[in-house]
Amino acid sequence: MSRQVNQSRQVDRHRGGTLSRRSFLAGSAAMVALGAAGCAPAARAGGGVTLRFYEQKQEVLAYFDDLLRRFEKERGGVTVVHDSTVAIAPQFVRNEPADVGCFNDNLELARYIKRGVLGDLSDLPSAHTVRTDIGELTDQYATYPGRTSVLPYSLAAAGVIYNKKIFRDHDLPVPETWSQFVDVCEELSRAGVTPIYATDRDTWTLWQGLFDYSVGSLVAPGEFFRRLKELGTDVGPDSEVSFEKDFAVPMERAKTISSYFNPDHAVRAYADGNLAFGKGEAAMYLQGPWALGQIALVDPDLEIGTFPLPVSENPDDRQARVNIDLGLWIPTASPHQDEARELVEFLMRPDIINAYNSDNLAYSTLQDAPPQQDERLAGLQEYVDRAAFYQGAGTFVPTSIPLGNYLQAAIRSGNFEGMLRQLDADWRRLAGRGATV
Amino acid sequence: MTTTQTPVRTQPPAGLRAPGRVHRTSWPLTILLALATLTVFVPLYVTLSMAFKTSAQSADGNAFSLPAPLNPASFAEAWTLTRFPVSFGISVGVAALAVVLTLLLSSLAAYAIARNWSRRFFRWSMIYLLVALFLPFPVVALPQIQLTALTGLDNPLGVGILHAMFQLSFSVLLYTAYLRSIPIELEESARIDGASTWQIFWRIILPLLGPMNATVGIFAFLASWNDFMMPSLIMADPTLQTLPVVQNIFQSQFGTDYNVAFASYLMAMAPTIVVYLFAQRWVISGVTQGAVKH
Repeated sequence: MSRQVNQSRQVDRHRGGTLSRRSFLAGSAAMVALGAAGCAPAARAGGGVTLRFYEQKQEVLAYFDDLLRRFEKERGGVTVVHDSTVAIAPQFVRNEPADVGCFNDNLELARYIKRGVLGDLSDLPSAHTVRTDIGELTDQYATYPGRTSVLPYSLAAAGVIYNKKIFRDHDLPVPETWSQFVDVCEELSRAGVTPIYATDRDTWTLWQGLFDYSVGSLVAPGEFFRRLKELGTDVGPDSEVSFEKDFAVPMERAKTISSYFNPDHAVRAYADGNLAFGKGEAAMYLQGPWALGQIALVDPDLEIGTFPLPVSENPDDRQARVNIDLGLWIPTASPHQDEARELVEFLMRPDIINAYNSDNLAYSTLQDAPPQQDERLAGLQEYVDRAAFYQGAGTFVPTSIPLGNYLQAAIRSGNFEGMLRQLDADWRRLAGRGATV
Repeated sequence: MTTTQTPVRTQPPAGLRAPGRVHRTSWPLTILLALATLTVFVPLYVTLSMAFKTSAQSADGNAFSLPAPLNPASFAEAWTLTRFPVSFGISVGVAALAVVLTLLLSSLAAYAIARNWSRRFFRWSMIYLLVALFLPFPVVALPQIQLTALTGLDNPLGVGILHAMFQLSFSVLLYTAYLRSIPIELEESARIDGASTWQIFWRIILPLLGPMNATVGIFAFLASWNDFMMPSLIMADPTLQTLPVVQNIFQSQFGTDYNVAFASYLMAMAPTIVVYLFAQRWVISGVTQGAVKH
């Protein structure tokens, strides 16, 4: 009896053993399969070179995909993988940056430029075809001695988007001076039309529009922040430049402008703004070309124009807010420098770069580039042509200073002077600890 | 437990009502519950109707309007844009690996800890594991990226392993609490019959852990399936990304493709809904069973 029990237990144990071993083996096989899948793409090229192209601007992912396929066909022997990962840091942390990057030139990219991980592109033939006044814009955030780290690829220009029909109905001109602008707003208010639609809930819309436009034509942001950086911890009410002193007049403008906002501006988000403006619920909207596509979803036939915000009494002071929406760079860590350069040269070919920019509501960075044909942006063309532009002041403010939230508070309380003092204090604090972001 | 002798015991079990008794509805409670269901049904309705709208209608600001005309094209677009079969498969693989590893590792660890509680080493191991509960992923993101790259784990395999690691502390906590409610006598009798510790675990403990396995498994699955940040940072090859990360292409700071995005979310949601529908009974029962000591 006991032997029987023992036997059956042995059988059981045996069965149990094989079962668990089998499942363990199956599990390991699954893991190996997954691992192998992970290695597969590296081996896919089969002798040729595989480049990784980093571009994550979502509206144009498909556009660049097509360009990359074209490059593969023309070049032959090179495969290009399109990397659209949102965060840029991991690839550098991993020390495996994409061979060619195409990214917004901003404070984030500035960190990589400053630390010299992006190689010099000044000896590329195409580097000499870029407009110098646009090339200089990239140096405003950061430079690396002796290098052209970024080739500007696409310039986006922003101003006041306005509803042409509303302006026509009320017989209003496009304002050229600050007092004309205030008159237009007054006129619209009297007629019961919301002059400006604002979306405070998305704080970036506040600094991008209200803050940047109010400052840009009065104080040149590039120069202001260069001097502010030199001052570092010495920034204060008595220093040579400071937010409190230099931005006082611009913020008076901002305060006045904010009095013409839609009553519910505090709770409205960016998407609400596009919808309301698309439905013709407001006459003006302080947004860039990126909003045009969203507005067109609401009403594709809406007549829209753009003008730079006048903030002084001299019409010649008017400038457009621009940003280098895309810039090309090649990390020094890329093992395929030659092929990467070929890809950059391909993308910089006049027919390709000009086509990209005219197709995507932006401006080509090349000398003698054709004008942007889109009606909605025509009002900014002359400013781009004669380099009457600035990069928004808000883009120079590191993210650890919550500028957008300060603006929310200032609009609500009307205390813009307090906000400027706060900005000075924050700048000192950041300079004191040598922070870059 | 003296109350067990009261006549209450003689009542039929809950669910079966005594014949002839008037069934009374608690209206305030019913209304409250009905309102509570809205928190689930309203977003679900918006997701469904948005997915079938045209892009013009989805941007018109009326989230609650019915789709007219009915436009199923968004599903096809979402399917190709996300390379749905591929990224879905990778997501399933990562989640499966995370679930299997979590179940296996945390039940083993919890068993060892619960049965050796008198020894200091095991008590400290428990604390060591629990401390990880206070460690959010973003804090250790950069070292993790470097480590996974160094070890060649910057792929779905690594993400699955990391998901299991991050699930470990919570799962061990659940398992140990539950294991304490399993009478030690069961193990003692098995040991008298000659079973080894390993056999006791596989043949007695693991089956008895049934409800808790379901709970832990579901938590591990949901955490892994819905995770965005870790795969987006860890995965080096963009073609091997998981579904939630790939779906990010529909949304940016500057614009959203509502109809395509919602169609894609709906397809991604399907497995979680199915898993939850089948397993919710165990989730609830598992949580409460671990909480009460018998």
